[in-house]
Amino acid sequence: MTIAIILSSALLALVLAIALVLPSISSPAVPFGVRVPPQRVGDATVVRQTRLYRWRLLLSGIVTGGVGVVVYGATGETLLLPLSVLVLDGVWYGCFFLANHEIRAAKAAGGWYKDLHQGIAVDTELRTNPPRFPWPWLAPALIIIVATAVIGVISYPSMPDTFAVHYRANGLPNSVAAKSVGSAFSLVFVQIGVTALLAGIAAAIVRSRPDIDPAHPVGSARWYRQYMSLGAKALLGLVAMIDLGMLGSSLLMWTRTVTPWAPLVVALPILTAAVAAVVVLARNNRERQDAEERTGLIHRDDDKNWRGGLFYINREDHALLVPRRFGLGWTLNFGNPRAAMLLAGAAALIGLPVILRFGG
Amino acid sequence: MILSVDLAGDVPIYQQLRDQIVEAIAEGVLAAGSTLPATRALAADFGINFHTVNKAYDLLRQQGLIRLNRKTGAVVTPTVADPPFPAEWTARARTLLAEAVARGLPADEVLKTCQAILESFDARKPEGTP
Repeated sequence: MTIAIILSSALLALVLAIALVLPSISSPAVPFGVRVPPQRVGDATVVRQTRLYRWRLLLSGIVTGGVGVVVYGATGETLLLPLSVLVLDGVWYGCFFLANHEIRAAKAAGGWYKDLHQGIAVDTELRTNPPRFPWPWLAPALIIIVATAVIGVISYPSMPDTFAVHYRANGLPNSVAAKSVGSAFSLVFVQIGVTALLAGIAAAIVRSRPDIDPAHPVGSARWYRQYMSLGAKALLGLVAMIDLGMLGSSLLMWTRTVTPWAPLVVALPILTAAVAAVVVLARNNRERQDAEERTGLIHRDDDKNWRGGLFYINREDHALLVPRRFGLGWTLNFGNPRAAMLLAGAAALIGLPVILRFGG
Repeated sequence: MILSVDLAGDVPIYQQLRDQIVEAIAEGVLAAGSTLPATRALAADFGINFHTVNKAYDLLRQQGLIRLNRKTGAVVTPTVADPPFPAEWTARARTLLAEAVARGLPADEVLKTCQAILESFDARKPEGTP
């Protein structure tokens, strides 16, 4: 019970902290998902909206957390805790959209792009000499999967006849499965699936198209090369930690260890890796050197392809992954049919085991 | 190599691409034998129609600056100007210089500019290239 409160509060605090720092670590050229010319980066509207966004978010975060804990205390419904994180996500998008809307309005009213030379820059080097997939970073995940499988095979004869496959929030099992290769190695299959999916995304990231700023293309291209490599490594580090959590969970399952700390065995490595990945990418995001002489061109205004400031929908663009405008990482081009297939595949990958488990 | 296009410029995009590739060859950024991205890859990176890139590559091929190959894509060729080229180029340079003179730029300034541009090609050439 207390573990559930601690985990949910930690998650809530993490989401809130990320939401509060995102405007500082996102590209200043697209405040709140609105493309602005370089001379408008420090515009009064942008500064004021950033301040308003933070205040709105901080207040709603405190209210959401408070209400979640109070309602939970009154009803004892554990579902309310993760629900409060979801509510905060909704409120976060609301705060983002308000700022996005105001800056867009100021941009349209002030004619910020009038008489400016908009252009597109490309680094051909990224195609003729593309960044390499960081294979060594995949090794930890593969080693952990093999180790889990080997430990499982060796200890299979001595495993109990039934496994706890689902736990209540208090850490006590409420669902068991008979011992079989399928149930004993279920988490190994999850490890393989998640590793394949995230390694695929990492491979797509190193091949993705960077969004080079035509105002200082050389530095921008160099920065993106570094960013893509870091992003792929961070993702492979994250998958290694997910696999580690699955290894810990498998060990608990195989030895029938019942402990209230069981959720932490999975959550702690993943949360640590996620925080580390965010910190590494955020630090890199701040290091946008700008010593290069300006070319006279500026990034074209591409707001029309970004619905609601967050979702990239461009049917004419063949790219599958594009750098996110607000925050870190990449997002899918939802105008690309392959994105729909990828989403369906991921949903099937996550959904099938859940259906099978509950169905069985 | 960085390629950039001005979307609102008077020069067509294929011409902008072609000109920049020629400049990169002059500067030594693109040495003989270096490859250019495949047409579709470059078009996708720019988010432009691949026919535009095709047109630029085709111009460069006609002028003997690159070789198009199904397997290796576009490769910069070691170029030796063929006989009709100097005459053609002189005719175009004549028009360009005439514009400067007609607009009243002093001859020595025009000459200095030409010299400076030629030197800038040499200056940016990586060491070890002729």
